[in-house]
Amino acid sequence: MTSETIAPPGGREGWSKFGRAPAWAISLAVVVVVVVLAALFDFWATTFVVGATENAPLVLAAFGFALLYRLTGLLNVAYAETITLGAYFAVWMNNSWGLGFYVVLLPAGLLAGVLSVVTYLAIFRYAKGRRVGNLEMIVISFGLSIFLQHALQFVFGYRRRAFDIPPPTTIEVFGVGVSLFRLLALASVAALTTIVYQFIQRTSYGLQIRALASNEGLAQASGVRPLRVTILIWFVAGVCGGLAGVFYGAGASVESSLGIDEFLLILLVVLVGGIWGLLGVVVVGMATGVALTGITLEYGNSLYAELVLVVAFLGVLKFRGRRLTDASKV
Amino acid sequence: MNLDWLDAFLIFGAFKVIEIMGLGLLVHLQLGLTRVANFGVVGFWGLGLYAFGVAYLKVDWPFGDVYQFLICAAIATIVAAAAGLVVGWLISDLDDDGTLVGTLGFATIVVILATTQQGLTGGALGLGGLGFPYDFGRVKTHEFTWLLITTAVVVLIFVYAWRVHRTPHGRLLIAVGANEALARSLGKSATAARLRMMMVTSGAMGLLGAMHGVMVRSLEINSLDVSVTLAALAALILGGTARVFGAVVGVLLTVALFDIVIQFYIPIPDGWNTQALPVAREAVFGAAIVLMLIFRPQGLLGQMRRPALMRRLHGDW
Repeated sequence: MTSETIAPPGGREGWSKFGRAPAWAISLAVVVVVVVLAALFDFWATTFVVGATENAPLVLAAFGFALLYRLTGLLNVAYAETITLGAYFAVWMNNSWGLGFYVVLLPAGLLAGVLSVVTYLAIFRYAKGRRVGNLEMIVISFGLSIFLQHALQFVFGYRRRAFDIPPPTTIEVFGVGVSLFRLLALASVAALTTIVYQFIQRTSYGLQIRALASNEGLAQASGVRPLRVTILIWFVAGVCGGLAGVFYGAGASVESSLGIDEFLLILLVVLVGGIWGLLGVVVVGMATGVALTGITLEYGNSLYAELVLVVAFLGVLKFRGRRLTDASKV
Repeated sequence: MNLDWLDAFLIFGAFKVIEIMGLGLLVHLQLGLTRVANFGVVGFWGLGLYAFGVAYLKVDWPFGDVYQFLICAAIATIVAAAAGLVVGWLISDLDDDGTLVGTLGFATIVVILATTQQGLTGGALGLGGLGFPYDFGRVKTHEFTWLLITTAVVVLIFVYAWRVHRTPHGRLLIAVGANEALARSLGKSATAARLRMMMVTSGAMGLLGAMHGVMVRSLEINSLDVSVTLAALAALILGGTARVFGAVVGVLLTVALFDIVIQFYIPIPDGWNTQALPVAREAVFGAAIVLMLIFRPQGLLGQMRRPALMRRLHGDW
C-alpha cells in the first residue's frame, strides 16, 4: 500500500490545491520576497521580523489544531485549553521548582499532549460512541473548554502568573532586536511543522493517519488500528498546542483565558490556510502574524489589526462558502 | 411602594434570571428549532446594549425620559436585528463549523469595536449616565419596576416562541432544522426562513441588551464576555433545546440556583462570592453542557411533542 493509493478524495489536490511542488515553490517565493523587502525597507524589516517571531506560537497552535481538524473532522473548541494548559504547566514548573524556561518547555508540551489524549478518551470518544451529532460535538467541546478554563483556576490560582526568567538575550535581525526565546519559538515552529509534516507524509503511521481520516471503514478493513492512530493525532496536536501556550505565556503572562483569546484567529487561519493543506496553514499563519504586526505598527493598536483580519477572514469564509470548511478537512 | 423587605441584590439576581431566560428562549428558536448554533449571543446582546447606550448618551434628544428610552431601545433593536440579518446571510450557506466561526467572529468584532471606539463607548473605562425612564423617588423602587417591565418583555418573547411552534413559519423552521435539503426540494426557501428567524431573534437579543443597560445604568466592557452566551446555552441544553419551556426550566436550575439560591440562602464562606463562586458557576455550566449532551441530549424535558401538538391543532390525521 503506497501513500498514493490512499490519498484523500481528489488525489493530492485534496491536500494542496496546487499540488505539493507548487506549494513549496510559492512558499519559497514568499520567503525570497520577504527577505528582499526586509533588507531594503526598515518598516518591512520590523514588520516581518517582529511579526514572524512574536506570532510564531500562532502558527504552532494553528498547525496542531489543523492536524486535529483535518484528520478527525472535529472542530474542537477545547483545543484552546490545551494551549492554556501548556502555559500553566510550564509556569507552574518554573515558579514552583525554579526550572528554567528551556527546561520546562518540552515537559509542558508533553503534559499538554497527554491531557489532549485524556479529553479525547474521556469525552469525545465516548460521545462518538453514543452517536452524538456533529453540531452537538462542537457544543460539547465549547462546554468542555469553558469547564477547563474555569476549573483550572482552582488548580493554578485565580491570579495572572508570569515566568520567572532572566531578561532574555537580544539578537539583531535585519537591524531589529529580537529576544532569543522568540527566535527559539520560530525555530521550534519550523522544526515541529517540518517533523510532523514529514511524519504524516512519509511514515507508515502518517499513512495510517491519512487513511483513517480519508475512510475510517476502509482503513479498519486494511488493518489500521483506529484507536492507536487517533490517540497519536490527539497527542501530537496537544503537544503543538501546549508548546504554543508556553511561548504565548513567556511572551506575556499566563491566565485562564490565554487559549480562548487566541482561538478565533487560530480557527480562521486553519479554515483559510487549510485550503492549501498543512503547509497552507503554516504560510497563512505566518502571513497573519506579519499582517497583525504591520497593522499594529501602522495604527498603534493591536485590536484594529485583529478587527481587520477577522473581517477579512470572514469575507473569505463567505466567499468560499461551505467549500472552505470542507476543504480544510481531509 | 414599600420594598424594605426586598434585598437590592435579590432584585438584581432576579433580573439576571429573567434576562437569561429571555436569551434562552431566543436561543431555543435558533438552536432548538432551526439548528443554528449561535456562539455569539453576547455579540447581539452587547450590540443592543451599546447601541442603546450610545444613542441615549451621545444624542441630545428633545424628548422626555420615556420617549427617549423608547426611541433608543428601538434603535438598539433595529441595529441588532440588522446585524442578525448580516450574520444570518454570512452563515446561510455554511455548515456548523462555519456557523461557529461566523457567530464567534461577529461577537469578537462587537467587543473590539466597543473597546476601541472610546469616544463613543468609553472603551475600557466604560460610560455611565444611563437612567430609568421614570422617577418614583427610590432607586430600589426603580429597579423593582424595571424587573417587572423586563419580565413582561420576556413573557412576550415566551408567547412569541410558543406561537412560532404553531405557525407555518415555525413549521418551516423545524423542517429546515431537521432536513434542510428536503425542505429545499419541496420548494421552501430555507435561507429566507433562517434570515427572518435570525433577524427577529437577534433584534430581541438587542432589546434585552438595552434593558440590561438601563438596569446597570452604565456601559461596561467587562459585561461583554462569554458568560452571557454560556448561561443561555447551558440553561437551554439542560432544560431541553427543542421545548419552549426548556429555557425556563433550565434557567431556574442554573442561573437562579447560583445567582439567587446559593448567593442568598446558602451560608458560604466570606470572599467566595467574589471569586470562587463565579468561577465555580461557569465551570458547572460548562460541565452541565458536556454531561447533558452526552447522556441526555434532549434535555430534562425531552423531545419536541410535534405529533401531539399537530393532533391538537388539526385533529386526528
